Amino acid sequence: MKSRAIAAFLAMLLSASARQWQLALPGCHYQFPRDHFSHPDYETEWWYYTGNLRDPGGHRFGFELTFFRVAVNLPQQTVPSDASWRPDQIYLAHLALSDIDRGEFYHTERLNRAGPGLAGIDSSEGRYWNGNWQVRWVSLETGEQELRAVCERFAIHLDLTPEKPFVIHGRNGVSQKGAEPGRASHYISFTRLRASGQLESNGGSFSLTGLAWMDHEFFTGQLGSSVAGWDWFAIQLDNNEELMLYRLRNKSGQADPYSSGTYVDARGESRFLDSSQISFSPGEFWQSPVSGAAYPVAWKIAVPSLDLELSERTSLKDQELFSRNSYSPAYWEGAVTYSGRIHSQPVNGVGYLEMTGYKETQKVGAH
Amino acid sequence: MALIDVRSVGKIYRSDGASVTALKNVSLEVNAGDFIAVVGRSGCGKSTLLNLCGAMDFPTTGEVIIEGRSTTSLTDAELTRIRREKAGFVFQSFQLLHTLSAVENVELPLLLARKPNARQTALARLCAVEMEQYADRLPHQLSGGEQQRVAIARALVHSPRVILADEPTGNLDSATSQSVLKLLLNSTREFGVAVIMATHSTENIFAANRIVRLHDGRIEGAMSGVR
Amino acid sequence: MKTLGPLLVNLIVRPMGRERVRTALTLFAVALGVGVVIAIDLAGAAAAGSFHSSLESLAGKSTLVLHQTGGIDQSLLGRLVQLPYAFDFAPRIEDFASINGKGEALPFLGLDLIGHPGQHEFQNDRPDSAARDLAGANPVWVGQRLKLRPGDQVSLLINDSIHRFTVRGILKTRRGEIAEKNAIVADIGLAQQVTGSAGKLDSIDVTIPPDHSVDYWREILAKNVPAGITIDDQGSRTEENRKMLTAFRSNLRVLSYIALLVGAFLIYSTIEVSVVRRRADIGIVRALGATRKMVATAFLAEALVIGLVGSVLGVVIGRVMAQGAVALIGSTVQSLYVSSEPAPIALTGGAILIGIGTGLLVSMLAALAPAIEASQVAPVEAMARGRQEYITITRSGKKVVWAAAMFATAVVLSKLPPLERQPIFAYAAALLLVAGTASAIPATVSFFEGVAKRAVSLLLGVEGSLALHALRASLGRTSVLTSALATAVAMSSSVGIMVGSFRETVWVWMEDQLKADFYLSPAGRPGADRHPTMDPGIGSAIERLPGVAAVDRARSYTISYAGLPATLMGAEISKAGSSRNTRFMPGQDRNRILGQLGRGDYAIISEPFANKHGLGVGSEIVLPLRGGKQTFKVLGVYYDYSTERGIVLLDWHTLLKYLPDAAPSSLVVFLKSGADPEAVHRGIDGVIAGRPVMVLTSSKLRREGIAVFDRTFRITYALEAVAVTVAVLGIAGALLALVIDRRREFALVRFLGGAQVQIRRIILCEAGLLGLLANGIGLGLGTLLSLLLVFVINKQSFGWTIQFHWPVALLLAVLTTVFVATLLAGIYPAGVATRMNPIEVIHEE
Repeated sequence: MKSRAIAAFLAMLLSASARQWQLALPGCHYQFPRDHFSHPDYETEWWYYTGNLRDPGGHRFGFELTFFRVAVNLPQQTVPSDASWRPDQIYLAHLALSDIDRGEFYHTERLNRAGPGLAGIDSSEGRYWNGNWQVRWVSLETGEQELRAVCERFAIHLDLTPEKPFVIHGRNGVSQKGAEPGRASHYISFTRLRASGQLESNGGSFSLTGLAWMDHEFFTGQLGSSVAGWDWFAIQLDNNEELMLYRLRNKSGQADPYSSGTYVDARGESRFLDSSQISFSPGEFWQSPVSGAAYPVAWKIAVPSLDLELSERTSLKDQELFSRNSYSPAYWEGAVTYSGRIHSQPVNGVGYLEMTGYKETQKVGAH
Repeated sequence: MALIDVRSVGKIYRSDGASVTALKNVSLEVNAGDFIAVVGRSGCGKSTLLNLCGAMDFPTTGEVIIEGRSTTSLTDAELTRIRREKAGFVFQSFQLLHTLSAVENVELPLLLARKPNARQTALARLCAVEMEQYADRLPHQLSGGEQQRVAIARALVHSPRVILADEPTGNLDSATSQSVLKLLLNSTREFGVAVIMATHSTENIFAANRIVRLHDGRIEGAMSGVR
Repeated sequence: MKTLGPLLVNLIVRPMGRERVRTALTLFAVALGVGVVIAIDLAGAAAAGSFHSSLESLAGKSTLVLHQTGGIDQSLLGRLVQLPYAFDFAPRIEDFASINGKGEALPFLGLDLIGHPGQHEFQNDRPDSAARDLAGANPVWVGQRLKLRPGDQVSLLINDSIHRFTVRGILKTRRGEIAEKNAIVADIGLAQQVTGSAGKLDSIDVTIPPDHSVDYWREILAKNVPAGITIDDQGSRTEENRKMLTAFRSNLRVLSYIALLVGAFLIYSTIEVSVVRRRADIGIVRALGATRKMVATAFLAEALVIGLVGSVLGVVIGRVMAQGAVALIGSTVQSLYVSSEPAPIALTGGAILIGIGTGLLVSMLAALAPAIEASQVAPVEAMARGRQEYITITRSGKKVVWAAAMFATAVVLSKLPPLERQPIFAYAAALLLVAGTASAIPATVSFFEGVAKRAVSLLLGVEGSLALHALRASLGRTSVLTSALATAVAMSSSVGIMVGSFRETVWVWMEDQLKADFYLSPAGRPGADRHPTMDPGIGSAIERLPGVAAVDRARSYTISYAGLPATLMGAEISKAGSSRNTRFMPGQDRNRILGQLGRGDYAIISEPFANKHGLGVGSEIVLPLRGGKQTFKVLGVYYDYSTERGIVLLDWHTLLKYLPDAAPSSLVVFLKSGADPEAVHRGIDGVIAGRPVMVLTSSKLRREGIAVFDRTFRITYALEAVAVTVAVLGIAGALLALVIDRRREFALVRFLGGAQVQIRRIILCEAGLLGLLANGIGLGLGTLLSLLLVFVINKQSFGWTIQFHWPVALLLAVLTTVFVATLLAGIYPAGVATRMNPIEVIHEE
């Protein structure tokens, strides 16, 4: 029911003649710290925080906090003169907690407009927030950030310290996802953030440490109509190397040639990997009792040029974000582990896996 | 001319869906000064005959002519007028209004007829029946005989032509009965009033000058000239 | 016990069945009495809108609400949502709108439809509504009652402007939530714009996290909001309005109980008649071995039957009457108290049980005395020869002593203060006055008979004398009947006097107060909790018109004070050149007070406010306004009849200091001497330029005011009419009984030369004399009751001072109507008596 209303409202807002948004094109001049924050001329933007955490007793958790910004094309007549409530940008946020050892997964979301400070991105204060979910840049130079989120079930507070500088994915400053210009995004990641902090929940109070990953993407319509969804891997290996890999999936289920990835070495240098260099093999499927979608929750990944072979596993199969009242399509986003070898050495790792577009009725990437 | 001329009168009542014949072909002539005793068992039609003579009712067949006017053809208002002027009633159970004093009871017919000087006339009547000292007593403060005397005064207060007395001594002892009968007799002599008395007691007949016997609504026999 | 059954049947049931008309009349009278009690109860609950202020609709599951007079700065919301607690904060704009400027004021709500769409459910839109042309701007969602469809255009008057909106969808209502059926919902930004509250919120609904108590979270909130913000429980406004309505509803309830009381008299009379008639039978039955208890029970059973059947009928009648009553009460509630939608009438099982229970209880209590009397009939009465009519030996002397005692107690009670803001003692005093009068009636009737004998016989002849005599003779019966009718008359006349006094007071006050030439306010129906505003420019523009001496501005806000709603007003009354005639309570110097009002944080309060909160000159009033809690010193208490909500009046500039919105709620225009009113009126119209603003002259305003007043009291008139009807029906039944019991007497009169028409006259005279007595006594009792009403009950319930005034025309009308009705009630019994055949009656002997 909620979604109907918001659909009606947003449809009314969005169904006007398309405005020209900025496309993600090669040759973008990045300027930091400015470009860590909002790009309102691009239609869609998000800041994704995920991480694997553990308390001193070994109790494992995964968390996800994502801030979305969507630009809305408002036709002239519907604009109320009070600019503060003008919904020209809509802010959506997701929060999820995986209690891996107990096998519990909890997720929630909220939707807001900027209003009188309800949500937003503020580059001068250095923060992203949606209500009382926020990430604040403690230092714009070092990239140290503080994450806080409160919901009915739990409250989490983490200090995030980058162990490496951030990387820009893709080639020429764009991560291309299709043949036409603009079928791309500007994609920045902090691939290794040391996380430490506190989790208060109904199940107890936990002191946590671990590794976190931050993605920041902005684009306008990055996916073509032939793309059904994607499978995205964030891999943090215990040899201080990381990989970001994604496989674009066509409607027929085949991998799209614009799938790609990034390898970050121990010094923080990044290398682009194109689809020919990566092979993905989905394994065991898990079907969601809620959405009915079947997700491959086990994968085998190989990057021969790095002598990389990894198996991905998860102890908590149900890490799907979907509810009937949701504003966004169903997707699976969960804490996973990796094991295998790289450079002829055995290696283990943690990370996150995101799989979208497995529920047929909803098309991903419209925004 | 006869005071009351009862000509071949019949009276049929409807009671609980059944018809009751109270009188059958009764004829009678009443003249001024007559004292007629109508005798018979109870239920034989005595009261009915009295009611007809007193213009309280009219016959089913035949006619009752009072001073030349047949009651059958009269309206209720006209019947009322006859009653007011011509008839006076005396009942077995006295039928005085319990909340009115003796004199108030006696003057009532005059008040109803809107006659003037009602109080004075009433007092005079009470005197005539020797009850003037009880003028302000209420009926329950009087004995049975005293009540009946008041009732007779009431029946005479408007100078009627006929008194209809229905078992006037029924509730009285013999001594009192005698005095009441005497009163009735006196009125025939003094005022020329005709008295028609219904009774089932043979002791009372002595006062009458005519006796009419009723049996099952018919006259069985008549005697006259007893006095 | 075996004998009780046949005893009941013979003693009670058969006779009741034989006298069908009389039984029916009594039943109906009782039914009406019970019905009106139920009707008022149901209607009161419904009219109060299931206790919902319509502004509290669509509040979802929130437990607390943040308010601030003058509006909350919306930046607070931004700060609140970022607090590290799992609260949910939902902003609201609350105002009223009327469609095309006509009709009721509907709640107009601005909600954050993006952040909080799920607090209410929207009905399915039409499939193509989302794609509809956006030239239809300003989307709103409307309640079902408005009978609009998606895509319709609707013009709404809000404050002093009309805006056009497009209906996007229909609000789905949850069960029991009637308020949503009327509401109009818009997105908050749009709502702010059209209500003129940019940057402000009217309230913030707070849903608290489940893991701690409400008080715990209230404290947390208190630490995080500025000082001028109040944290209330959700529904507190409804609670406050409910309290305000309590006094009003209590008054109505008491009035309805009087109708039931009249019914009680009638039951007493009916059972009494039964007992009297069957004295001989009772004697026989006792002689045969029935106990006293059995006899009493038999008569109580008769009352039970009448009470039960009457009550059940009463429930049905009451439900029907409730419909009409809601309409009458509803408009009162709307205009005087709170904008709320009447709830559907809920005839719950509980209400039915209470109604029937009350009817039964009253019947049994009323029948108690006669039943006890019946049980005391000695067996020897069976032996009495002939059927003597029993003369009531009423010990009227002793009863007069009782009456005096009751009157004295009533006087004492009337001096006592209210209990929980209810004039309980005054109600008790009223009851005592009625009881005292009832006790004194036998003596009064005897006295009347003695005094009026000659006059009656002169004017009404023998029929009148007989009638008077008969009344005196059956004093017991007569007294009860007179009591019943007198009570009804007393109720009508006392309420009539009270309303008449009130009306006169209000009229005089208006004439005194409304001395200006023109009054301006936004169009639309006025209401106690609605304060629409006008463009501030209008006032200054009018001031510049030639012929205008001064324009006084006033602005009103709805506030809460000590758990009750009130009005905070800022007005220019000490402005030089204006001459508002505020009348203060005795001993207060108007000029000094008005002169000082604008010189600091001072206030004057209206009389109802002072009485409700026990405040006076020198008291301090603390109000949470922008910037914190502000204290105002009370300089004076003034008379005001415009609203039952109290008013706290500040100088215009003092109010503006704390609540800087200069848009006025009303404007008062004074002309220079010699100015042409027509020309100025045209000038004003030009300034307003087609906006929906009303311009009234003082005489028109007075007429409007008195019209609202009259509408308010229609319900009381209706109640009075019912009480009188009950009484008259009872009289008809009782006269019928009288006629039947005295048939021997009437028959005798016929034998004695009485005509039919004379019989009829006797009975009509009895009815008329009864009516006359009842009117006289009723008027006397009514005057006493009106003193109670005017000086005690009204004052304690609402807080007003009312000047006593005789509404002569109204009283004459009531008395005449009652008298004529009583006469008419005698017609049927008179007919029955006339049609009796004297021969059959006497023949029975």
